[in-house]
Amino acid sequence: MVLSQKLHEAFKGTVERITGPRTVSAFKEKGVLSVSEFVLAGDNLVAKCPTWSWEAGEPSKRKSYLPADKQYLITRNVPCLRRASSVEEEYDAAGGEFLLANEEDDDDDGWLATHGLPKGTKSSDEEGLPSMESLEISKGGAIRSIPSYFGGEEEEDIPDMADYEDSESFVETDPATLQSTYIVAKEPEDDNILRTRTYDISITYDKYYQTPRVWLTGYDESRMPLQPELVFEDVSQDHARKTVTIEDHPHLPGKHASVHPCRHGAVMKKIIDVLISRGVEPEVDKYLFLFLKFIASVVPTIEYDYTMDFDLGSSSQS
Amino acid sequence: MATASSSDNGLGRILQFDPLQSLVDEGFWHRFSSLKLDSLGLDQSPIPLTGFYAPCSHPKVSNRLTLLAESLPPDSKDQLSSIERVQGNRNRCPVPGTLYNMNTLESFKALDRDSLLKMEAKKILEDIHSGKVEEDCAVLSRFLVISFADLKKWNFLHWFAFPALVLDPPAMVLNIQPATDALNQQEAQSLSAGMNEWRNSSLTTDMPFFLVSITSNSHATIRQLKDWEACIDDSQKLLFGFYDPCCRPDNPGWPLRNYLAFISLRCGIGKILFFCYREKHGFPDLCLSLVGEAVVSPPQAWRDPHGAPKSVGWQPKPRNISLAESMNPERLAVSAA
Repeated sequence: MVLSQKLHEAFKGTVERITGPRTVSAFKEKGVLSVSEFVLAGDNLVAKCPTWSWEAGEPSKRKSYLPADKQYLITRNVPCLRRASSVEEEYDAAGGEFLLANEEDDDDDGWLATHGLPKGTKSSDEEGLPSMESLEISKGGAIRSIPSYFGGEEEEDIPDMADYEDSESFVETDPATLQSTYIVAKEPEDDNILRTRTYDISITYDKYYQTPRVWLTGYDESRMPLQPELVFEDVSQDHARKTVTIEDHPHLPGKHASVHPCRHGAVMKKIIDVLISRGVEPEVDKYLFLFLKFIASVVPTIEYDYTMDFDLGSSSQS
Repeated sequence: MATASSSDNGLGRILQFDPLQSLVDEGFWHRFSSLKLDSLGLDQSPIPLTGFYAPCSHPKVSNRLTLLAESLPPDSKDQLSSIERVQGNRNRCPVPGTLYNMNTLESFKALDRDSLLKMEAKKILEDIHSGKVEEDCAVLSRFLVISFADLKKWNFLHWFAFPALVLDPPAMVLNIQPATDALNQQEAQSLSAGMNEWRNSSLTTDMPFFLVSITSNSHATIRQLKDWEACIDDSQKLLFGFYDPCCRPDNPGWPLRNYLAFISLRCGIGKILFFCYREKHGFPDLCLSLVGEAVVSPPQAWRDPHGAPKSVGWQPKPRNISLAESMNPERLAVSAA
């Protein structure tokens, strides 16, 4: 973690402690959510996409401003069949920028740039959003490759398999056990079963930015935790290590990859403005559907549910 | 569908079940470590666990049994209430399990895994005979974990078993096909609506075994296991349904094994219609769900409620996870600098 990021985290923590949660709606004006609007939008997501559910998390990490049983949202076992880096060229087709298609030359929006390198993320002074520069993590600097992260140097501790091969209670010796014929994702896809990476995706409420925040917990093809560093392979290269960083999860133990929320409000405001300009009145309980659609541009190959054909709001046109 | 082979005796082929997969969340080991250091000490007594699973919800990716921090017993009053809340979560059907954690690698290796598995199989058979399964169907899918937690190196060696009673001779499958092919359109619609209701009710959403009773006018009703006698009496067609974590198009998942034992022993049915319930985007998907028919004859040994039935279920290999990077205070200090 770079120093400026740490300083900012400390500052953010202090502000969160001394300020009360937002109670007045500023959804249309600033693209942010109050606590009760977050719960409302979360309830709607769970109702429409039941693979998502609310969780209470660790009691010691509970936030008092959220209902005890609705601390964060999570969907588990979400497949990620391909690496984002391998589909970068198809990225234009990914969801997220569809709402902003008529605004492609708007240079204020590093989030949704779909071509080439991300544009300079200038500090946006409005609404007190901090500058991205202060949050960037230098490429290859702070985060090292850690080969021994999950299983590596421990081979001598694994019991010798020969000790166990005679056991009759092994599923392998049972005629009614289907023997595994899994294939890995890179082999021809004519088989119905894939061994693939999966993700647990959680959404927390960020009190400082007053927006939802997305966290990714990855598992490899054999269902072992994925080193957070490897999660970057599933993040659009425009966002890896910049807007997606590895931090402590507010409700779960350990380090997890997260899409940094500092620009969420501004981007959501933009999406809402486009909707309004098209005569659609956005409804706050649909916020998370729009939000997840936008997150899909950051993690284009993770196939989580956010309802493809939802009604964005009450439309006065069509 | 069934391929003819020398083992065919006109009955079909052996019904093969897809083994359940397991996944342990990092949070489980974090909480286990503090439990071990703060209260368990060197005590090696078995620890009751709650694993979680849900029906398959993707055509190519099976669901798995997951251990989370909440899988361990609560260590203080304020966590008792969180266990209550776990109930009624459609994505977390609880499954009872047991953890045997050993203090040394030697004692881990020395564990008699065959007899541990037999003990669990015995419990399953007893619960079928005593009627406990009808009260709490989750006891049909017990699981076992043995582990050696090296808290000095933050290394967690563990090995899962999903005990299943072994039918001898094995169950033969007469046919198995997508539910949309096995049922007429009205039946499928009615079943889909019934499953939606079942999954939306907090009382039944985490109840993974159930009955589907279909009347002659194609109306499907979903009922709890304890109603099996009434269902046999008044339904035209009775399907034994379960939440299937498996995504395979031609095979049922592991939970059906002990379910078949229950159906053949308790309900006395030898030709069983089963329904592998699967979802897409969290809603019933009857194209992915399967309906099958199997012939089952329970072994004589199962008649003894206190017998030790033959069982299988150990996963092929132990697994090892190192959490040094997220638990070692020294390394944490380095990565934070």
